[in-house]
Amino acid sequence: MTATTTRPARLRALGVTGAFALVFILLMVVAAVWPTLFAPGDPDAIDPRAAFTAPGLAHWFGTDESGRDVFTRVVHGTRQSLGIGAAATAIGVGLALVIGLLAGLGPRRLDAALSRVIEVLFALPSLVLALLLVAVMGKGVTPTLIAVGLATAPGYARILRSQVRSVAGSAYVEAARLEGQPALLVFGRHVAPNTLWPLVAIATLGVGQAIVWVSALSFLGLGALPPSPEWGAMVNGGRVYLVRAWWLTLAPGLAITLTAAALTVLGRRLGRVAAA
Amino acid sequence: MSIFRWAAGRLGAAALVAWVVTTVVFFALRAAGGDPTEAILGGPGSQAGEDAVAQARSDYGLDRPLIVQYLVQMRRILTFQLGDSYARKQPVAELIGAQLGSTMLLAVCALALAWVIALSVATLATRAQGVLGRVVSGLVQAGEVTATVMPHFWLGAVLILVFSSTLGWFPATSVGASPAGLVLPVVTLAIPTAGFLGQVMRDGLDEAAASPFATTARARGASESRILWRHSLRHAALPAISLSGWSFGSLLSGAVVVESLFGRPGLGRLLLDATSTRDVPVVVGSVLVVALTYTVVTTMADGVERLVDPRPRGADRATDRTLRAEAAIV
Amino acid sequence: MLAARRATTARATTRRRAVVAALVPAVLVLASCSNDTSVASGAPQDGGTLVYATGDAEPSCLDPHVGGNYPQALLTTQVLEPLVGRDADGEILPWLAVSWNVSDDALTWDFTLADDVTFTDGTPFDAEAVKVNVAHLQDPATGSSTGYLALAKVTGVEVVDATHARFHLSEPDSALLESLSQQWTAIESPTGIARGTDANCQAPVGTGPFVVESWTPQQQVDLVRNDGYTTVAPEAKHAGVAYLDRIVWRFIPDAATRYAALQSGEVQVIDNPQPDAIAAARAGGDITDVDAPRPGSVNRIELNSGQAPFDDIRVREAFVRAADVDPGIETLYAGTVARSYSPLSSSEPLATSDDSLFGTDADAANALLDAAGWTGRDGDGYRTKDGQRLTLRFPVSTNQSVAAEQSLFEQIQANARGVGFEVIITPLDLSGWYGALAANEYEIVSAPYTKVGPDVLRILYHSSGITPAPSGYFANHAKIADPDLDDVLDRAAATTDQTERAELYAQAQQTVLDGFYILPLYDQQNHFLVRGATGTRTLHTVSTPTFLDTRLAF
Repeated sequence: MTATTTRPARLRALGVTGAFALVFILLMVVAAVWPTLFAPGDPDAIDPRAAFTAPGLAHWFGTDESGRDVFTRVVHGTRQSLGIGAAATAIGVGLALVIGLLAGLGPRRLDAALSRVIEVLFALPSLVLALLLVAVMGKGVTPTLIAVGLATAPGYARILRSQVRSVAGSAYVEAARLEGQPALLVFGRHVAPNTLWPLVAIATLGVGQAIVWVSALSFLGLGALPPSPEWGAMVNGGRVYLVRAWWLTLAPGLAITLTAAALTVLGRRLGRVAAA
Repeated sequence: MSIFRWAAGRLGAAALVAWVVTTVVFFALRAAGGDPTEAILGGPGSQAGEDAVAQARSDYGLDRPLIVQYLVQMRRILTFQLGDSYARKQPVAELIGAQLGSTMLLAVCALALAWVIALSVATLATRAQGVLGRVVSGLVQAGEVTATVMPHFWLGAVLILVFSSTLGWFPATSVGASPAGLVLPVVTLAIPTAGFLGQVMRDGLDEAAASPFATTARARGASESRILWRHSLRHAALPAISLSGWSFGSLLSGAVVVESLFGRPGLGRLLLDATSTRDVPVVVGSVLVVALTYTVVTTMADGVERLVDPRPRGADRATDRTLRAEAAIV
Repeated sequence: MLAARRATTARATTRRRAVVAALVPAVLVLASCSNDTSVASGAPQDGGTLVYATGDAEPSCLDPHVGGNYPQALLTTQVLEPLVGRDADGEILPWLAVSWNVSDDALTWDFTLADDVTFTDGTPFDAEAVKVNVAHLQDPATGSSTGYLALAKVTGVEVVDATHARFHLSEPDSALLESLSQQWTAIESPTGIARGTDANCQAPVGTGPFVVESWTPQQQVDLVRNDGYTTVAPEAKHAGVAYLDRIVWRFIPDAATRYAALQSGEVQVIDNPQPDAIAAARAGGDITDVDAPRPGSVNRIELNSGQAPFDDIRVREAFVRAADVDPGIETLYAGTVARSYSPLSSSEPLATSDDSLFGTDADAANALLDAAGWTGRDGDGYRTKDGQRLTLRFPVSTNQSVAAEQSLFEQIQANARGVGFEVIITPLDLSGWYGALAANEYEIVSAPYTKVGPDVLRILYHSSGITPAPSGYFANHAKIADPDLDDVLDRAAATTDQTERAELYAQAQQTVLDGFYILPLYDQQNHFLVRGATGTRTLHTVSTPTFLDTRLAF
């Protein structure tokens, strides 16, 4: 593991599957930024007379209980759902960066103290933490985001700490130091790239998981605000009509699964790229 | 000596967890607003009169300064007295005690089933060769990823629809240790965890099969199954043991959903109800019990790993791969 | 992996063994199940255990005197009995009280009590018991809300003799008998009450056909038959003890799971079913739908007339004209509910209906909003006035609102947007929801209120209902402060003349409808699906089912 691997080599290491996953995620990002490109309709336009229309040419994934087009809603829900996953992961990674880098690079005592913090955070399962935050902050997406972020932070922090320790103690960092390079430069050139890549790989996995947990809170009645077309809320809303209109959960369910799968594949490939 | 130090360290960590959790939960819930007397007097929307409110406040010591109430709470925790539930007026320890077993049974069964599924699938997938092998491996990988991200509430609903409403094989509801009732909740809870453990194990098996040990063994004429059972599985199981501890947390999270869905009594439902009624003593108590249980389980997994792991004591045991997999469990 | 190509026969065998070994525990786990849920049709039979699955929140106390909510009423209908009952026409029927007289000044009520009834703990039912119960309801330490309010005008009970109790009132109360017919004022054993709140919450003792045996929190309440049942219950189909041996009252919060349990024969009765399940039951098959709308108010949307923009009747009418709820009600409820145009439940004989006020008319709504000065438009297409957006905050209690209703609210949101209203729906838990109401942070809200009789109009629309209780709770969410309406409601509450009472309540309802203070939707849905049991009927008081006449029929 050195800092000299070139960019093209990294891209090649993605492989075909990885490339597909990357393209899929890029499409998702486009849908999040510019949803009308894929689905020009209004996701909240209701038409009770056309409620529960089965999938067909007019409505690819059918219509929901209020006659809204499911496909349009899923496309328009990309921004919020991906946003939820990304925000939760950003909270986790952000916190992990602070804790992990301080613990990895700081003095032993600080490391020991921060390790205790990590342990305490790790003792609370994500949904339990989410329930707690909902009790304190009220219902909605924000407490859920924070809860999932907090619950993932210790995991990321542990990786980062271990990576930072091994890189900082490695021969080439030692060499760079002996050459008299400034500490900040050594960190920027060697430590940061070699510790952050693996973290990015893991964090992509977390985005999919975060979407799933937020949807679990929707099920418990503590999630997203109606009528926002958030995927998890849509799966939960459609569950009520599972017998009458199975397609209500199909499109958002597929969206969650495919996004999470693509992110997982990408995360694993990135992990290999990082190791290349 | 070192094992004692390690145990003492874990005990200290558990105490720290208990103290932090209690303190944070206590102050956070009180800062959240909402008068606790509301929970005592029949929940939100209570039309109780002035005197009833005053009575409740003095009965539960809520008229004392906040810091005194906090100290009272801490003293209770130290003496393992968790106080009385606001809503039910029963000792919290009793309420939790009645539900703990049910949730643990659910989580342990689910973990066991997850292991069985993950191990079977991973062994099978490693066995398939050639084009078939690639297809199987691709399918298994897709299945594992899908399983990992499948929301419990959706999976459970589909299982109920198929196996209870339509086929009538299993009851849709679940109580205590009735084996028939346990099937659907356990399967619902186990599948996402199995998907996750399977990914970890398959990685381990692949890695082990390509390791120098395996190559040497093959050169000596050892059969593949001998290599699998004697060497690869042990190699793959090591990280999975420690990960079982961590995934226990995600099982406890999942239990909140599964218990509500299957109408099964348990700690998760108790916590959910207490959260919505702002029953502070019950929330503090159940969060504490969950946190401590989780700490105990991860410690046990850690201990087992220490016993099984042949590497020297001083080494940083958490491998990179384990750490990464741990981080992926939310 | 690479070197594994050198397959041998021995290896293949071991592989199979390995696979089998790996799968065995899975099979064991899955096979350790029995299935004895077979259901065969047959004649009704005596005895047996009925399992009831409720989706309502589990009560924190089973005694309906404490707090006083619907889940308590459901369960204790099997255990406790009130002084009087009511039939479908609103006629008050004798129950534990066999007859009654009111004095000329309407301040004294004399009740003659049944003389051969004992509580299930052996305590005799008498006038002293009635006195103790009223005192229990009025004691602040009990923490009663519903029963306490129902008896607000009762100053005390005088024991004339063992079978005669005299109620003294502070002012005339035309709703007294209706109030006493509710499960929340049902009569409990004085010995039971004397055990203290904790014991009484665990197992209230009454005179009903069943007795609370045990309560396993989050799981179930076990009821056993009262073999000494002697009460003559109104509308009962048979005299004497119940047919069933036991009732298991289970708590299953998820509606789909409850329905699956009914289909698979795990339970015989469920409440709060999904509209789809009701429609399927009505279409035929072995599941019966018992439709028992709750008494009191209908489900309606209340418009907060206490502040802008709904302090202007034109804006209120514009909202009502734009909401267009009929198509949504039809599809979301799968054709199982009827639209209401009344403030009162269809189970109330005195309900007044006026559908002429509620026709959908977007043009009229636009014209009304223009006339009211909401002529501006902002970037998002919402109407504005003096730079203020026409925003309606809509807190929704997720504990009280079912999925179909929340979808209906979303449709109202979309329809109202068509004429320039911005509706912000905020789902809240019960505590946060009451908080939003107490802080006056709402323009529209939906909050059904269950009470026997039209006196619910006084609670919901009298200006005194704007003043909050110590908890911040108030019932007049529409914030109607109309002195004329107050006067009509006061007179209706005081009169002993039934004809005059009916006329006054009709007048009050028309005032509420004409003022566009509410948008009536439909009755408070209260369905019970029954499979494998016969003879289940609901009371015409609080619409709870009684299992006195129920027999299992497998």
